[in-house]
Amino acid sequence: MICQNCKKKEATTHIKRVINGEATESHLCQSCASTLGVGNFFDDFSLNLPDIFSGFFGDSAFALGESRLDRCEKCGCCFDDIIKSGSVGCADCYEKFYRKLLPSVQRIHGKAGHAGKVPVKNTKKPEVKEKTMEEKIADLNKEMEKAVSEQNFERAAIIRDEIKKMKGEN
Amino acid sequence: MAWYNTTGNESGIVLSTRVRLARNSEDYPFPARLDAGDREKVCEIVREALSDYTDEKLTYRKMSELEPYEAVSLAEKHLISPGFAYETQGRALVLSENEEVSIMLCEEDHIRIQVVLPGLALTEAWEKADKIDSVIEKKINYAFREHLGYLTQCPTNLGTGMRASVMLHLPALTGKGAMRRLSTTVAKLGLTLRGSFTDGSEGAGNIYQLSNQVTLGISEEAALQNLSSIAMQIVAQEKQARALLVKDEDFIDKIYRSWGVLRSAYKLSSRELTNLVSYVTVGACEGIIDVPSDKLIGAVIELQPATLNVSQGEKLTENQRDILRAQKVRELLG
Repeated sequence: MICQNCKKKEATTHIKRVINGEATESHLCQSCASTLGVGNFFDDFSLNLPDIFSGFFGDSAFALGESRLDRCEKCGCCFDDIIKSGSVGCADCYEKFYRKLLPSVQRIHGKAGHAGKVPVKNTKKPEVKEKTMEEKIADLNKEMEKAVSEQNFERAAIIRDEIKKMKGEN
Repeated sequence: MAWYNTTGNESGIVLSTRVRLARNSEDYPFPARLDAGDREKVCEIVREALSDYTDEKLTYRKMSELEPYEAVSLAEKHLISPGFAYETQGRALVLSENEEVSIMLCEEDHIRIQVVLPGLALTEAWEKADKIDSVIEKKINYAFREHLGYLTQCPTNLGTGMRASVMLHLPALTGKGAMRRLSTTVAKLGLTLRGSFTDGSEGAGNIYQLSNQVTLGISEEAALQNLSSIAMQIVAQEKQARALLVKDEDFIDKIYRSWGVLRSAYKLSSRELTNLVSYVTVGACEGIIDVPSDKLIGAVIELQPATLNVSQGEKLTENQRDILRAQKVRELLG
């Protein structure tokens, strides 16, 4: 059997994992197995391996070699590196390769944006993507609620009108 | 006292609760793209940031300075990941005295804050992890984007970076053959259920881990609420199944036999102990036999191979460990 990852060498490491009642099998050669950190069979912390092979990066995982020249300026990582290792290089990679990463991210998490804790000292806040109309309206709604809770009704009214305008109502 | 020697809510079924947060610095590439020297720099910066956390005493240790069996013992107790025990260069661990707080530095992410509490205590565990996170945040420029949340080396952790889990002891549901169906059901609800305390096979000692899968697009509170309510439903199902099971004379026989082996064995492997304690615990919870089941569960953790070496201060052979393990259990059961 040929290694699933490099598709060159003979696969010597065979892993079967059963998660949520679904069995996934991986067949790797020795060098790919060690690169991917396989061998810690009682590992219950990270799930990188089944992630990679259960379509984590989708079909792109097997269509390598197209974009080696396009590298992240901060860490020097290209998209191939990310696919092969199953790990993103640095924070900037998420901006650099946003479009390519997005399908995988959505496959795991769905389409919604972050809804949890936000660091107080959030100095660098570049927008990762152009917001959709619905998201913009949701943001404005939040802002309006905040204004109301602060009893700043004048501002709330301005925001309300803005929302109406965006929804195309008058 | 270590957390696993204390009792918590629903302790016969929910053994422990764990919340971990994945965080990274904006200023450095993620650990996989750092050399050992740069990883050490990151460790030091976080160490410095943690000096402002004064709720309890934290110890900082470079992983490369630990004996291999000490590192494996930490993994046995689920304080670190197994990989963290084997590749120790440029990595450090911050640990509280009762082992409730463990912070892995430069594992998969720069910072992995973990809080473990006995029994079902999701809110408490989250609040503690959140507090530590807020202390670190004052000194570290976190990698964060509005839409993606906290940025992590593996996209599976994007968003809150929070993985919360409860360790469940489910002998009755396992005996009924209900686990496969149950894990398929929880998967549809965005959760994962899998065997814990394993060395390859599934569910040794009938112990499972239930955790949240989705971290983006859901707040910490909502994810915890979801996990908690599913956990409580599983607990209720296990109780129902146990009530039926303890009327089964073959099962009662199994409980007494397990108790007998624990009281009189000359040698016990870690796996055998885990499995026997599972039955004895059910017997104790259902009032069939009178044994200190909480202490036995603590013993399952403390008498794992490498942890036993650490408590003895030397590396014992497997045979020596099995004899010592049996002796300790006999003492415990008087």
